[in-house]
Amino acid sequence: NALDFSKNQNYQEKLKLTDPEHALHYNNFYELGTSKEDPFRNADKLKTDGWQVVIEGECAKPQTFDMDDLLKLEQEERIYRFRCVEGWSMVVPWIGFPLSKLLSKVEPNSKAKYVEFISIEDPNLPGQRFRVLDWPYREGLRMDEAMHPLTFMATGIYGESLPNQNGAPIRLVVPWKYGFKSSKSIVKIRLVEKQPLSSWMVATPSEYGFYSNVNPNVSHPRWSQAKERPLGSFFKKKTLMFNGYENEVASLYKGMDLKKNF
Amino acid sequence: MPLIIKIMLFSLLCSLPAWELVWRLLNDELGANPVEFLEHATGDWTIYFLLMTLTITPIQKVFKPNWNKWLFPMHVVRRVLGLSALAYALLHLATYLVFDMGLSLDDTITDIIERPFILIGMIALTLLVPLAVTSTAGWQRRLKQHWQTLHKAIYLLTFLGILHYALLVKADLLQPLIYLGLFGILMLFRIRIQR
Repeated sequence: NALDFSKNQNYQEKLKLTDPEHALHYNNFYELGTSKEDPFRNADKLKTDGWQVVIEGECAKPQTFDMDDLLKLEQEERIYRFRCVEGWSMVVPWIGFPLSKLLSKVEPNSKAKYVEFISIEDPNLPGQRFRVLDWPYREGLRMDEAMHPLTFMATGIYGESLPNQNGAPIRLVVPWKYGFKSSKSIVKIRLVEKQPLSSWMVATPSEYGFYSNVNPNVSHPRWSQAKERPLGSFFKKKTLMFNGYENEVASLYKGMDLKKNF
Repeated sequence: MPLIIKIMLFSLLCSLPAWELVWRLLNDELGANPVEFLEHATGDWTIYFLLMTLTITPIQKVFKPNWNKWLFPMHVVRRVLGLSALAYALLHLATYLVFDMGLSLDDTITDIIERPFILIGMIALTLLVPLAVTSTAGWQRRLKQHWQTLHKAIYLLTFLGILHYALLVKADLLQPLIYLGLFGILMLFRIRIQR
């Protein structure tokens, strides 16, 4: 399923890409099972036919977008670092478009302070038979984070449509935050006034906060975040502040205590 | 077959999972996160061998098999299983020290202090060492009735091993709970046997 896309020259950093064999077979996607191989193994349980994305809430033009229409938006490729909260990382070429492009279509109003992302809920998904998390999977961003030029809606990876295990047909990618903030298989986007609760905040509030910015100086309560292991590698390397996007995003958090707002 | 050959063959059987890991390592079959694979595999096998060690006494009490006829004395079977658990635990520790801690003593000490699940794992492994050392017939004779008391530490350290795993998990506690259930069943046998 090759996609029609151009390479965005601003996001072609010379980083060594992760072997697709790893990025496409080692996934956290609890809807398809909690082990790393489950999402690939159970990929066919996720049905993406006739997919739609509803955008509603604090906006002038709430709309439902057909996946086909979203694919008609100009698609570009960007190479991003990706850092999982568990301490592994990868470098992946995503294909898609900036979230801001989509949000501007619904014309958010002045009450739209936050954006909530809601992923698929389907009784046929093997992982959703267990209440490991509060389904459907929910995540959120502050409005300025959502409108940031780095914040991306991905429809493809490595030159092709997203495979189901990577969050088909459309997912969020927020490269300066831990991977779980980048919701997969999104069906609804809500513009809201109050800070939404994410599924992980509900599950373990002491461990997962709203911001979840990659930060080598703030440990997870159970493990250090100072280093990361690139997929396929035996040894670790140092984790970068904001996952290497400090210049672009640090200003969003000026004056905030990042230890408190983890 | 001479006893020593039988014991060696049984030990070799217990080492097969480790050889599988070596084979995977040499053939680049450890997946996207090879260190995690090694840590999970050696950790799981440590718990499997601890649970197998704990299964021998109930089998003895319930089925009263003729161990000598089929294999070799019961206490030797139990000893090989227990020592295998230690071997896998040491492989588990070595993987962690080399690849997670980069053999840095400072980092390891910080990790033990800051993370309860690491501390608990370390305690469990440390408790296993005196049991391995005193697992010989000579030590059993020397320690007399104290030997059994000492070796009851396996109950505690197995529980700590399972707890070490449970505390690492992000959300899905199913697997550690299965281990805990098996451990519970084996402990219930002991309470019933003693009555």
